[in-house]
Amino acid sequence: MSARVIASGDDEYPAGFFDLEERPSFWLEGLLPDSPSVAVVGTRRCTRYGIDLAEAFGAVIARAGWTTVSGLARGIDTAAHRGCLRLSGGAVAILGSGIDVCYPAENKPLYDQILTTGGGIVSEYPPGTPPDRWRFPARNRLIAALARAIVVVEAGPTGGALITARLGAEMGRPVFAVPGDVDREMSEGCNRLIRDGAHPVLGSADLVEELSLIIGPPAGAINADHGIPAEGVPVADLPAIWALTVTEALIKLSRLELEGKVRRSGDLVVPG
Amino acid sequence: MYAATTSVALVGGDVRPVEVQVHVGRPNDQFKLSGLPDTAVREAKDRVRAAVMSSKIEFPNRTVTVNLAPAHLPKAGTDFDLPIAIGVLAAAREIPHPGKMVVVGELALDGTVRSGASSIGAAVLAARSGQACLMAASVASEAAAVPGATVHGVNSLAEAVEILRMGLAGHPPAVAGEPARLPSVGDLSEVRGQPMARRAVEVSAAGGHHLLMHGPPGGGKTMLARRLAGILPDLTQEEAVEVALIHAAAGYRRGLSRERPFRSPHHTASRQALVGGGTGVAVPGEVSLAHRGVLFIDEMAEFPRANLDTLRQPLEDGHVTVARRGITATFPSVFRLVAATNPCPCGFLGDRRKPCNCRPAAVARYRQRLSGPLLDRFDLVVKLDRLDGTELDAVESSEVVRSRVGEAAQILAARSMSVGDDGRLLLKTALEKGLLTARGVDRVRRVGETIAALAGETRVTEDHMAEALGLRVDW
Repeated sequence: MSARVIASGDDEYPAGFFDLEERPSFWLEGLLPDSPSVAVVGTRRCTRYGIDLAEAFGAVIARAGWTTVSGLARGIDTAAHRGCLRLSGGAVAILGSGIDVCYPAENKPLYDQILTTGGGIVSEYPPGTPPDRWRFPARNRLIAALARAIVVVEAGPTGGALITARLGAEMGRPVFAVPGDVDREMSEGCNRLIRDGAHPVLGSADLVEELSLIIGPPAGAINADHGIPAEGVPVADLPAIWALTVTEALIKLSRLELEGKVRRSGDLVVPG
Repeated sequence: MYAATTSVALVGGDVRPVEVQVHVGRPNDQFKLSGLPDTAVREAKDRVRAAVMSSKIEFPNRTVTVNLAPAHLPKAGTDFDLPIAIGVLAAAREIPHPGKMVVVGELALDGTVRSGASSIGAAVLAARSGQACLMAASVASEAAAVPGATVHGVNSLAEAVEILRMGLAGHPPAVAGEPARLPSVGDLSEVRGQPMARRAVEVSAAGGHHLLMHGPPGGGKTMLARRLAGILPDLTQEEAVEVALIHAAAGYRRGLSRERPFRSPHHTASRQALVGGGTGVAVPGEVSLAHRGVLFIDEMAEFPRANLDTLRQPLEDGHVTVARRGITATFPSVFRLVAATNPCPCGFLGDRRKPCNCRPAAVARYRQRLSGPLLDRFDLVVKLDRLDGTELDAVESSEVVRSRVGEAAQILAARSMSVGDDGRLLLKTALEKGLLTARGVDRVRRVGETIAALAGETRVTEDHMAEALGLRVDW
């Protein structure tokens, strides 16, 4: 399917965009899934903690049968998309460049995967538009408008994720933020959002519970396999989690892995 | 007038006799030295003359010609001072001919005999050829520990002259002393909160598996690597001699310590420093200094790729051949390679608390330096994270782990390991499910054998294989 322009009169025009005064037309490649969308956004300069959480959120949102919306940027955006696609969930990426310009280029596989799993790529800009920084805040307002709720995983004191959250709040979207250490730069934005009234996220299960109050009960069921949370755990943490010795934990891990119940992702163990 | 004494040269982790031939000719004050001496040996002329005069012995006012034979063998160091001095005095008939005896030692200008690097080598040569040997008293008891060696220690040239005038029979040989303790590598029980890494270190020690540790700075990678050397079984006496000779060839004294070497070259080390080199004489590199011990490559990605690649041949062959003008020396290099690396240039990729500032392309480049054949050598790869939480595993001391490692190593050495059907089935399933590559299967099997041996068993069961399969972390 090739990219096409969607305007406010079209059937495919998302309801959320009616909250934007100018009702922008946009380019669409792929499809906009019917299911309710949740935006998962955050800083490009994230920590492993942020990546783990964003992936977990993407995964639990997909498992609940909802769509994950993000901006395909490095860091949190990438992790959120990846988590969602791991469960073949619906994903929408809204770009700040032309619809055929994958930025950053290393996310091309992700870009392609979003399309093959029935998601969509959205852009306000004509094909070939380069990824200029000044276009990103405008892109963020589309993310805020399309989503039914906005989850900020990690954000510094300034940055695009905070713009998305503010625009979303102005349109009446509930904002969720992951609380963090008060002395950590990439927690500061989230902690401020919480002070200003955002819901603190207490974990992936908590997030789904809170979201289902807003957008209705999930279509799928949530499970956490063998005490391994969706966000995954380092192999070295397993003995403590399972309360086993190293030898026992490694044996159990290998058995679960061979049965396909868990799998490795880098040095993390994640539900299979 | 002519006399000859025997001294020693260290070549490729072994010893060769050097005959110190001295001729005293017509009245003159010339002193000639031949036989491929290096600068330090050439300077012996001045030290010997001064030391003899300080010892209240008349230095012959004649042409002195010294030849170190075989002439083609390069000689280095200051240990030829004492044999040259004794040769000169014997040729001048100041003392009786010393007969069959290996002599080493450096002379201070006041006649004091000091220790050089070749004292252990002299004892080895003496024991092998059934001679006595004479050296500085400060190292005599250390050298006397070489099996079969009779070592006489002297503090000064004057004392040496006195002994030789009276005959060696009247002088009691040195008593073998306790080997000197090397600086401690620390106890394994000091590493808390890393039970999985401690297990990997134990498995590496028992089975000789090379170990790669990665993780953010401050995770204890260096601490664990040092402790690996401490849980290896003690060197046997034979091995201790072998290791001491290699270290002596590099100018280090470690006596007959039974402790395993731990070498940790900096990433700026040259290729010659890593695998061996030297000018004139062949000097062993870090791979040989780590022989029978641990070679720790910290910050592996900071080493130039070409330097890392030089490690492959010694890893493969267990020895290194260093060719230098006039001599080709082969040093043994059987070691456990332990490498540590950060996950990315800034070190914080994957850290749960700190952001990584590296661009993805920089991370890819960083990892590429390690890719390829060298990475294939690591049977064990562990990730070290900063951990919280409780530990169920007993925090054992190095001594406890060392005895288990020693027993496992003996079981493995007997080569009677067999893989049970259940263990084999697990490997097959892992291969079919794509958890392992064919090469990975071999690696897990080897580690599984070691894990079985650590449990005191010769049959590798499903549980052993499952633990081995768990002890791998994708890099």
